[in-house]
Parts: sequence; structure tokens; C-alpha cells
Amino acid sequence: MDERRKAHGPLIDKALPIAVVGIIVLVLPLFIPSWASSLVTKVMIFGLFGMSLNLIWGYSNIPSFGHAAFFGVGAYTAAIVVMKVGLSSFWLSMLLAILVTAAVAAILGVPAFRVFGVGAGAINPIYFLLATIAFGELLSRVAISLRPLTGGTTGISGIPDPNIGFGVTVHSGALYYLVFVISVICLFLMYRLVNSHYGYALRGIHDNEKRMQALGYNTWLYKYTSWIVAAVFGGVAGGLFAYFGSALVPNNLAMPYSDISFLLVILGGTTVFFGPLVAGALYVGIEHEASNYLPQRWPLIFGAILVIAIMMIPWTRGRYRGLGPEILRLWRKVTRGAA
Amino acid sequence: MALLEAQNLSVHFGGLAAVRHVTFGVEPGERLALIGPNGAGKTTLFNLLTGQLKPSGGKVVFKGQDITDATVYTRTHLGMARSFQIASLFPYQSVLVNAMIGLQGVEKSRYGFFRPLFKDRALLAAAQELLEVTDLWDLKDEVVSSLAYGQQRKLEIALSLASHPELLLLDEPSCGLTAAESADITRRIRDLGSKITVLMIAHDMDLVFGVAERVILLHYGQIACEGTCDEIRSNAMVREIYMGSRKQPGGR
Amino acid sequence: MSQALVTGLNGLSYAFILFLLAAGFSLTFGVMGVLNLAHGALYMLGAYVGWQIVDSFHVFWLGIVVAAAALAILGFALYWVFLKRLYGRVPEQGVLTIGVAIIIANVVLWIWGPRAKIMQFPHVFAGVITVGGLSFPIYRLFVCGVGIVVLALLWYIQDKTRAGAIIRAGMDNKDMTVSLGINYGLVSTLVFLLGMALAGVAGVISAPITGAYPSMGDNLLLLTLIVVVVGGTGYIQGTMLGALVIGLLDTYGKAYVPQVALFFAWIVFLAVLLIRPSGLIGRKVF
Repeated sequence: MDERRKAHGPLIDKALPIAVVGIIVLVLPLFIPSWASSLVTKVMIFGLFGMSLNLIWGYSNIPSFGHAAFFGVGAYTAAIVVMKVGLSSFWLSMLLAILVTAAVAAILGVPAFRVFGVGAGAINPIYFLLATIAFGELLSRVAISLRPLTGGTTGISGIPDPNIGFGVTVHSGALYYLVFVISVICLFLMYRLVNSHYGYALRGIHDNEKRMQALGYNTWLYKYTSWIVAAVFGGVAGGLFAYFGSALVPNNLAMPYSDISFLLVILGGTTVFFGPLVAGALYVGIEHEASNYLPQRWPLIFGAILVIAIMMIPWTRGRYRGLGPEILRLWRKVTRGAA
Repeated sequence: MALLEAQNLSVHFGGLAAVRHVTFGVEPGERLALIGPNGAGKTTLFNLLTGQLKPSGGKVVFKGQDITDATVYTRTHLGMARSFQIASLFPYQSVLVNAMIGLQGVEKSRYGFFRPLFKDRALLAAAQELLEVTDLWDLKDEVVSSLAYGQQRKLEIALSLASHPELLLLDEPSCGLTAAESADITRRIRDLGSKITVLMIAHDMDLVFGVAERVILLHYGQIACEGTCDEIRSNAMVREIYMGSRKQPGGR
Repeated sequence: MSQALVTGLNGLSYAFILFLLAAGFSLTFGVMGVLNLAHGALYMLGAYVGWQIVDSFHVFWLGIVVAAAALAILGFALYWVFLKRLYGRVPEQGVLTIGVAIIIANVVLWIWGPRAKIMQFPHVFAGVITVGGLSFPIYRLFVCGVGIVVLALLWYIQDKTRAGAIIRAGMDNKDMTVSLGINYGLVSTLVFLLGMALAGVAGVISAPITGAYPSMGDNLLLLTLIVVVVGGTGYIQGTMLGALVIGLLDTYGKAYVPQVALFFAWIVFLAVLLIRPSGLIGRKVF
């Protein structure tokens, strides 16, 4: 059963349940304690992070072990713009985060795709994976060396609340709504992208790059641009993260965070659009509980989850069947039942 | 002027010369068959012509242009298309999506990143036409990996036609098909019309003689002989070369 | 200026440590096609096992042997339980071995705590040799010695033995090698275990110089990856050359221009990816 076969029914069938969920999420903070809304904010941010990686890992079949590089660049850029450059506008800091992330992705993408894909001579993606690891780790060491700009090993702290203009500063509780709005916009854009002509071309490249070239597609261009797009969405998640946590460390660019991104992709599955978002909820929940009861052992638990996930999540031909399809099935039951 | 010319094409893999100094031309509207025993280098020659492989010597000229260094996808835009010996499809997508992706390859719309693919009425109509012509429209929502082999082969050929090519390279179009299916393929290729030029690799002699006007025999990477069907049929060397390799796929 | 020679020895011994790690890593993925990102964590584990043995029994050689053996056994378990099921799935192998690396690092932290463990230089190799007014630590010479022995051994196996021929054939065309009736599976498993043992040995002999600390694997893994890409895979000479380039560059960089030392490795890495992706002396894969 290919979960991507759409029921081409009336739009209202699909849009209404999603709108209902949206409204629920919107009013949630009125009913739950603030530490819980803070967690949901984190879910949205990490969910966005995982979804951005899924654009390349799930749709284009470009596995990357260094996606946190873009998350971190977005985060640091936003923080530096506000704190070192002195521009207090939230929108400006996010815009610059996007631009800088796109630039970094554009530069790093050139050597990376030299060693990846049909036509690069190697179907085995080892060199590409090594390159992506190196990018994240090296950028984190850059962050450590550029102490005056990035605060070195201690990083940046005390990032102020976002200033969205008209004299409005979004204080901690209200950050939830800001993140919500931005996440919804990003998810909408991603959704349109993966269902567009370009998005289906990516899916084609995932399944059979050789045939795509024979059909007239410049596959390098698709992979390169999808890499940049994924980086930009990752950078947006990073920017939001900077405001959310108010503090950044070089690790945000490195493996510890890249690990989270691909754990979300694997757990959530690559066959259903919302997969990584759902996995984000699970991840934040588990991390919260573990940090409460076994804070010293959380990294160990994380490592174990990674091992268990990769060994147990069903995989066929480059597709993970994670939580996504299960949640989708549940969703269909609920919406059909309610209708 | 020949539509396609191979000039002194050669390619080496380490010490092995897979294709050696192959020179031939295909005229517009022609039906040319490439035959030869297994390992003669036929598919390798195709890969050289379509750009999947870079030659170690020689040139490929298409419509008067030297395309030896051109990328695979550029050649498709110039008017060349090919089918693959083993069906090369998009197994996890539906037949309809396969057709749409195939058709989109030479359209500007393939870079559209906001409008949903399924709202593109022109593309849907073109896909419907392509699938109806190949009798696959009823299967449009089936996932390709669940199709029978014969149907996958038909889709394979459909995809190779999707870019409206002037030159179609078919690599063993009847490979693995039953006698009835082969006859069907033979008829379809014959019905392609004179606007499409066909260069075809085939083992099935009924297919070759049913479609081709001219035949080239490849042996150990070199052209052993060429001529019309009658000339080839009566050529003693051809019989000798095929003596050990008469078994053809499909059990004929 | 002559101090540069002492730095050179340091760089050389560092290069040999990198070589031991890179050789194991590159053999694993050249021969088996397996991506083992736990290599850094294994190196660290080797250092701790070695430290523990030396701390408990005061015999350095025993530390090396036990570390090599322990890692080979762990490696076998890793292969049998996990990696065998991920045959051909490179990104998944990467994810798995990253998970394993995290587990190993945290288990080490749990058992031995976060503070670095100091290992004394073994008596035989303590002290310095003075040549022309310069002091060269004997231990560094020992490390180079180990490295040279391993290099010679591996080079010999690669060029002069049947096993080496099997490995080279397998790298070119695995299916053909297997179909010729050669027990490629056995050879590649042995190679894998050898790689693990080398990582353990590298860890133990590093420990007197750097101490044993929980994050020692991370930095070295990154440099190992760079060495493998820069040197190329398939030829032990390539790995050695890559290790020399990166090891010397990094050491001299840290000595003379510490702020930018890191970037040398980066620039070389990116340059190689762009210009010569198959590495300096590597089998042509790109």
C-alpha cells in the first residue's frame, strides 16, 4: 500500500481535520501548565528540524549526517545579529539566518555532491556521509575558534526575547504562538514543495536517478537545490531554537544535534509527510522524562534508542516505515469516524 | 544527413576493449537493428550513444552536432531517448505518476515548486493519452512494483516515448516477453510512424525481421557485417556467429 | 628552527596514530563496504582498557594485547549482532555505529568517570634521546616504530600474499571473487577484526601521550575521516600518505599558528573532494 496515493476527494475532507488540529494546538496553552507549552514549542522546533532533513533524506534519498550544521548556522546567525550586530528585529535576524544558511549550504554543496550520486561514479554514499559529518564538526570548531563572535566553547547566552516590530516583544509564554505561526508557514511551504512538479522530480530521483537523467532531468541541479532548501528550513528551526533556549553552544552545530535530526527521520518514517513531526513529539516527551528521572544516563538512553530504532524500523528500498504510517492510519480512522 | 552518426567509437574497461572503432550512421525515419551474441557490446554501445558512458575514443554526432561530451539529459532534450533492457521504472509510484514524471522531463514546468503536480491538467491529459495508447490507463493507480512483467515492459517503452524523441533507442524491447506479447511489441514499434527513427537491440529474430530495414551485426565490440534483412539472413558468417548462441529469451 | 625537528617527531608519531586508525577504518569500508563510525569510540575504549590493565597489573605489553583482543571480540559481536543484518545499507550502518559509539562513550564515562586518566610512559621508553642539543622523547620513537611495523606488515600482506590479492580482487569486483569460490566472507571478517584491533592498539599507545579521556575519540574520528578521504582507499600507501599530510599539517599548525591550525585540515579536505575525490593514492572510484 503506497501511503502517498491521495484520495482526490474534496479539499474540505483533508483541510478540515487539519484546521481542527491547528485550532487545538493554538488554544492548548490556555489549558496546560507553562512547562508543558514550552515542551510543545520544542516539539514544533525539533519537528521542523526533522522535517527539513526529510526533504533530502526521505524525498531525494540524500542521507546527511551533518544537518545540524545548518540548524546551528541559522541559530548562531540569528543570535549574532541580535546580540553582536545590534539589530533587534526578529524578522531581520531570521531573514539573515536564512540567507547565511543558504550561502553555507550552497558553498558546501559543491564539494559534497562531487562525491555523490549517479555520474559521480560511486553509488555507495560513504564519502558523502563522511563529508557531511566533517561539515558539522568543522563548523562547530569554527564556532569555538571565533570566540569574539560566537563566545567560543561557552557559546552565546542571554539571547533576548524576539522583537517582532511595532514595539511588541514576545515574552516567553507567547513564544509558543510565534513558533506556531512560523512552523505552520514552513510546513505549508514544504507540503506544496513536495507535491509540486519539482517535488515529484525529487521522488523520481530517489527511486531511479539513472532513469531521471535519461528522461531529461538535470539531477545534480535538483539534488543541489533540494540540499539548499532543506538547509534553509533547518536554519529557520535553528533560529527559532536560539530564541527558545536563549543560549547556544558549539554542539548545536555538531553530531549531537545531527543525531537528533536523523533519529526523527528514522522514527517518523519517510513515507508520510508528517512523520518526523510526530517523531519529534515522541522524542521531546522521552527526553523530558529521562532528564527528570535519569539525567546522567540520558545520552546512553539516546544511543540505545538510536540502535533500537535503526535495527527495528522496517526499511525497504530507501524508505523507512516509521511512526508516520501508523499515525496516518489512526488519523484516517478518527476523521472518518468523526465525519 | 544522417540523424545519428557513430564515428570510430571505442571504449575500454581496463584492458578489455568493449567497443572497438565502431562507425555507422542512422538515417532519419530508418529502422535499424543491432544484433550480436551476448557480450558483443551492444548495450555498451547504447550507453556510449546516450551518454551514460564516456568513450575512450571517437565521436557521437546527432543532427550534425558533436554530442560526445554532452550529458545524458541534454541528449534527451536534443531528441534522443532510450529504453532499458531491464525495466527501469519508479517502483514505488503509481503508473500515472510514472507517466507524468516521464512526460515532465522535457517540459519547463518540471521546475515548478509550488503548484501541485496533480493540478496540472495539461500534464494529466498528456499522461492519459500516453497510457491509453499503451493500454495502461486502467492500471493508472496501481503501484508499479505490483505490475506483471509484461505490463512493466509496456510502461518502460511508454516512458521512452514520453519525451517525444526523434531518435528512439530500444534495448531488447521484447526481453522476457511471451510470444504473444512480443508480437504485440513488434506491431507497436512498426506503428510508430516515420517521424521517429528507431535503433533497436534485439535477440528475437521475428522482431528484427518484422521491424528492421537494415541490420548491423556486432561481434566482440566490432561491426562484423551490416546489410538489409535479406542480406543478413543469407549471410553464412552470421549463422556461424550465432551457432553457439541460438537460445533466445522467451524460450524460442 | 631546529625545534621544528622535535615538532616533526611529534607530528610523525601523531601521523602514525592516525595511520593505525585510518588503516582499520578504510580497510573496513574498502573490503567490506561497511561504514563503522564507532571507530573513534573504539579507539577511546582501547585507551581505557589499556590504562586499566596497566593500572592493575603494571605491564604495558599486556595492556596492548588485552586492548587489541577485547576490541576484536567486541568487533565480532558488533558484526554478528548488528552489522550483518545491515548488509549493503551504508547510511543505516552509519546510524547504527553512531549509536554504538554513543553507548560506548557513556559506558566508559559511567565506569571510569569524566576525569582524564594519566598513564605513565613504560620505563623502557621513558626519557629522551639527545641529538645535537635537541631532546627527542623516546616514547614518540616507539610509536613511530609500531607504526612502521604495522605499515610494513600491511603493505606486505597487500602486495605479496594471497590474502592481499583476494582483498584487492574483492574491492574491484566482489561478486566475481565470491563466484570464484573464494571465501571472501572469511577474509573480510578477519580484516574487520584486524581494523578493530588496530584501533585498540592505537588507543593504548596514545594514552601515555594524551591521557585517556572520554572525548578523545571524537576529534580523532574526524581527522581519521579526513585522512581516509585525502589519502584514498584501496592502497595502504595512500592511507599512510594521507596520515602523514594531515598529521604533520595539524601538528605544525598547532605549534606555529594555533588559531588557524584546524583550517588546514579543512582546506585540504575540501580541496581533495573537489579536485581529486578518489584521494591522493586511491583506487579510482570517482
